[in-house]
Amino acid sequence: MTELTLQALYSGLLVGGAYAMIALGLALVFGTMRLINLAHGELVLLAAYIAFEMERGYGLNALAAIPVAIVIVGATALLTYLAISRIRHERELNSLILTFGLAIVLTNLILMRWSADIRSTSNGWFQEGVVLGGTLFSMRSELLFFLIGLALIGAVHLWLAKTWNGRALRAVASNRAAATLMGVNPARVEAFSFVIAGLLASVAGVAVYTASVVYPALGHNLTVKAFVITVLAGLGSVPGVLIGAVMLGVAEALTATFLKPSLQELAAMVIFLGVLFLKPSGLFGRSNTVRR
Amino acid sequence: MRSLGRLLSCSFALALAGLAPAGADTFAIGSHVPLTGNLARVGKGMDEGIAVAVALANEDSKGKHSFELRRIDDETSPAKAVAAVERLAAEGVVAFTGGYGSNIIGPASEAADKAGKVYVTSGGVSPGLTKRGLKTFFRINNEDGYGRAMVGLLRDLGVKKVAVVYLNKEATVSIARYVERELKGAGVEVAMAEFDESTKDFKPVINRVKLRDRSEAVAMVGYENDYVGILRAAAVLKPDVKAMVGVWSLATSQMNGEFNDLMQNVYGTALLPYPVAFQGEEAKRFGETYQRLHGKEPDYLGQFGYVQTKLLIEAILRAHDKGVLKTGGLSDELRAAKGETLIGEVAFDPAGDNPNFAHRMGQHQGKRVEIVWPTATATGKMNFPGVSW
Repeated sequence: MTELTLQALYSGLLVGGAYAMIALGLALVFGTMRLINLAHGELVLLAAYIAFEMERGYGLNALAAIPVAIVIVGATALLTYLAISRIRHERELNSLILTFGLAIVLTNLILMRWSADIRSTSNGWFQEGVVLGGTLFSMRSELLFFLIGLALIGAVHLWLAKTWNGRALRAVASNRAAATLMGVNPARVEAFSFVIAGLLASVAGVAVYTASVVYPALGHNLTVKAFVITVLAGLGSVPGVLIGAVMLGVAEALTATFLKPSLQELAAMVIFLGVLFLKPSGLFGRSNTVRR
Repeated sequence: MRSLGRLLSCSFALALAGLAPAGADTFAIGSHVPLTGNLARVGKGMDEGIAVAVALANEDSKGKHSFELRRIDDETSPAKAVAAVERLAAEGVVAFTGGYGSNIIGPASEAADKAGKVYVTSGGVSPGLTKRGLKTFFRINNEDGYGRAMVGLLRDLGVKKVAVVYLNKEATVSIARYVERELKGAGVEVAMAEFDESTKDFKPVINRVKLRDRSEAVAMVGYENDYVGILRAAAVLKPDVKAMVGVWSLATSQMNGEFNDLMQNVYGTALLPYPVAFQGEEAKRFGETYQRLHGKEPDYLGQFGYVQTKLLIEAILRAHDKGVLKTGGLSDELRAAKGETLIGEVAFDPAGDNPNFAHRMGQHQGKRVEIVWPTATATGKMNFPGVSW
């Protein structure tokens, strides 16, 4: 029983770390522009397929695909922003339609280029088991990308808190007009946030490719998961993304272990709705309600 | 100017009429398959087999009749499949071949029935599909054929505890319940673990098998991505099992090539070994045409797609010759079809099912997939006990 529980907690922690990495890019854009990029999951997927191409086509390690993915996915994210920036009316609503359409285009481009076959790394190193303390099992790729994910989340948190660009991004998120008066170029900051989201999606995509299986229809599932975590975390909260993601991961693993694996998604949704019911602005979101 | 146009049109029509032999007919066959969405991989596999059947029928009927395939991607969506059937029926197709997923085939075949069109498939094995009383619905395979093969192998292996890890879709649940019922009936202890299509990490499930259920074999009922997840989790946790057994989409050339290390000693339903060794003229012709059209070796999906479409085309020709094609006679002609095919003997019962359908079990061994069950049709010796880790 103890072994089962410990493994469930450990698996949930690792899965949560991966979820956080997938969601962070979406949360960043949501925090800056109040926009939900419905093509975010497809950006993650694109990075995964770039890793596949580099591994099978060029015989390179999947990790070597990260710089290539950053360039291609970053450019795609920037193009997404440029398309969104041309929306003049009802940007929140119209950007949803635009990014949803873009997601379909990306999915079908992936399908045309790489077919509907399932893909995953053929590099056995990533699949090797790592045993901690004799009872906690994971694949190398899961542990590796959990640590990379933690480092990235920490870096993004520090960047937002300590650098001029990070503060500018928070300023635009807080009050676009006021930030402009302070000498910040909101368009540049927003474009930058999309590129950073692309960078995070690139690493997340390679992680998904090495630890799991990818196929063209996967992007939508990734977007939904990232969206749930973003809302659960609260607007613009980086630690919230990590904590929310780990909460979902652990809840899913415990449900799969002690109840029924098919109920794990339901368990995650119950937590999601429960948090929103008790705290509508999310775990770490600032409430807009003014108390008198 | 208008006269000139009419003259050109008439000349073109006469030229075409001169090219076509007298009495030649073109038969449009409708098809909806998932070419995108979750079932894109299996849908494409079936579609490739359908294309081979149509190509061969056109070769055989050259100068007499021709067959045109009108295919719509249903995007793995029941609503889009129904819309595709309604559209193709309105365009005047004579019948339908295709469909994947019992939950999609159900409403799509009902739409075909309403339009009075025959619908033949190999993509839905749920028992409910042939209990609806549709006179126009036919399928060449069914749950019993898959279930019998899986249960037969597990019983012959002599394992006493089996964990059934299954996806919560209509067809997979149905097969899992069949396996549970049959194994329990044979005195085997069965532990059930149902998962959802969103499940990506199978370690909690396999850890349960390892620490709590202590099963001797794992029976997997899902799709390719699920199998890879389950097998990877098992390779990490190394439960003390003697066999990993699955159903469709597992003992295939694609899985052998793509995930060779992971697949070693894994069992799955298979009709033919890999590399494919075709016996007989028709099988060889199918294999060659498949290779020519698609540039690869056929798998079981292609075989099923080919057989269902070939039977349909033969029935269309018979109904046409008897003059009953446009008066609802196609259904009777298809029901009268009987004979040996690439997947074994096919004969439809009054509900449109093929009670003769029986599958075999293959096992990944190195770069080959050998048929290991039943013994009478085995092409190789079974590696038991044996797992990939």
